[in-house]
Amino acid sequence: MTAPARGDEPWYGAGRDLAPAVPIVEINRASRVYRMGEVEVPALVEADLRVEEGEFVAVVGPSGSGKSTLMNLIGCLDRPTSGEVRLGGTSVADLDDDGLARVRSRFVGFIFQAYNLLPRTTALENVAAPLLYQGIGRGERLARARATLERLGLGDRVGHQPSELSGGQQQRVAVARALVTDPPLILADEPTGNLDSHSGAEVMALLRELHRSGRTIVLITHDADVATTATRQVHIRDGRLVA
Amino acid sequence: MRLVELIRLALARLAVSRLRAALTMLGIIIGVASVIALVAVGQGATSGITSQLEALGTNLLTINPGATTTGLVRGAAGSATTLTTDDAAAIGQLEGVAALAPEARTQQVVVAGSQNTTTQIVGTTADYAHVRNFDLWQGSFLTSAAVQAGLRVAVLGATTADDLGLGASAVGSTISIDGLPFTVVGILQPKGGVGFVSQDDQILVPIATVEKYFTGSDSVRTIDVSVASADQMTDVTNAITAELRTRHELAAADADDFSITNQAQLLSTVGNVTAILTALLAGIASISLVVGGIGIMNIMLVSVRERTREIGIRKAIGARSSDILLQFLVEAMTLSIIGGLVGTALGILVSAGIDAVAGWPLVINPTTLVLAVGFSGAVGIIFGVWPARQAAVLDPIAALRYE
Repeated sequence: MTAPARGDEPWYGAGRDLAPAVPIVEINRASRVYRMGEVEVPALVEADLRVEEGEFVAVVGPSGSGKSTLMNLIGCLDRPTSGEVRLGGTSVADLDDDGLARVRSRFVGFIFQAYNLLPRTTALENVAAPLLYQGIGRGERLARARATLERLGLGDRVGHQPSELSGGQQQRVAVARALVTDPPLILADEPTGNLDSHSGAEVMALLRELHRSGRTIVLITHDADVATTATRQVHIRDGRLVA
Repeated sequence: MRLVELIRLALARLAVSRLRAALTMLGIIIGVASVIALVAVGQGATSGITSQLEALGTNLLTINPGATTTGLVRGAAGSATTLTTDDAAAIGQLEGVAALAPEARTQQVVVAGSQNTTTQIVGTTADYAHVRNFDLWQGSFLTSAAVQAGLRVAVLGATTADDLGLGASAVGSTISIDGLPFTVVGILQPKGGVGFVSQDDQILVPIATVEKYFTGSDSVRTIDVSVASADQMTDVTNAITAELRTRHELAAADADDFSITNQAQLLSTVGNVTAILTALLAGIASISLVVGGIGIMNIMLVSVRERTREIGIRKAIGARSSDILLQFLVEAMTLSIIGGLVGTALGILVSAGIDAVAGWPLVINPTTLVLAVGFSGAVGIIFGVWPARQAAVLDPIAALRYE
């Protein structure tokens, strides 16, 4: 799976060329505190994490341990209350909302537990959707989406809507959507959580294959078995990372 | 994001929920259709009434005698007998007067063969046909010679001829008016009624004949004056006023014992009144446009709530807030503009129907169309911004978790 030229992403593209000096993900003493009225609830406490290019890291922890908070920070859906999150060498704290949207568009490919495909929209249009927000024309969008779906063995499902696909197929469409922009980082949040063991194993095999072809993957899971697929495990408990 | 992408997104979305989209548009459709129909019907009525008034004769001044005053009771305007045939002759000498037709009226029983009717006998001059825009259907109009001599000749209105059972061959035959024989010299084309008075139910005879055989008086009921050109209307009106005041020996302090009505003034008054009514109706109709806009806002707010997760997904895969804002705004505008176009078509159909029934010309003002569609687009923006804003500011994490 060779990556097509990525061209115009100066803010991290330059950094990536200097690898291995710049990690894909670098989190320094990052905390995230939620405010519930008067009470402050720390969801993540002074977390440190480095993910180098080409790594497959599993963040493992029970529910309520702060996994989702960590994923939201890495995925640029949220900002830390204190500390630093750097993606491809650039600090997220320096970015405004549009800047965060740009990181999500160019740097991160999300895979969710609940697939999160657009309803009443074909697999092809779903996979093409991220390219819309990169300003890519319709013809190229559909061609790239079709090619990605075919690579994942879904060439005969392009015209199907999510409701017409099995859970395993929906999750593979979601993987295709994460891959279509060819992002430096794949962020998978409990990707097997809604799947039966067979489909789950298929999706994990797919992630392993992506890793072998050079993708950087961060997997968030509560399942120790699933985590063994990764090359490195990081445990999280009560908002603290334990190596 | 390019506009064409946004429109494509909006159309795809509306295609998914067609019934809801159609019902949402209905408010705008009804609003735009009623504005266009009411304005078009208003303008059709104006031009219909105007052309009927113009059929009375353009550049027309009508002089009526003043009211009689018996003790303290003032009679109806025109009840006095202060205008005479001599006044008419004097006015005919004034500059700018192109034609002049005094009228002396009397009502008489008319008999032709076995048919009879009671109708207006109008004594007038040869200019009457020109001044009042009458066209002849058969025969000839009253000649100057006949008017001078006070001959017993008659020109029949179309309805009167019908009532008497007289057709084209009646020209040259003899009818009896109040027992006196008159020769029919012509029959007029029908003209249609104005108000409650039919101009087609009357018999025209020389004015001297009315004085000689029926009334015995030289007073006239009306003098119609055709002015040479429209820009002389004021001058001629002033000249007539001065002439009549001199002839009637009125002192400077006395009020006029006659009145002069200007056809052009009447036309412009009618025009103003119908314009005000049209604007009033359009104003009322545009309230329904606002109501339609609120309907769009309502549906868009529901839509934002229903599609919270979609918004979260779109943000996660790279949509900026402004992309989401524009997506929902363009969706609202698409609803309102399609509604506006359908409403325009419906409005034209309705006004064509009403005008056809009423017999008015179909007047569709392009400005109205542009305004109606533009206004419905504006309604889409005004009522779409708030729901779109609600969508744009959603927190992606909360939106993704929304069930």
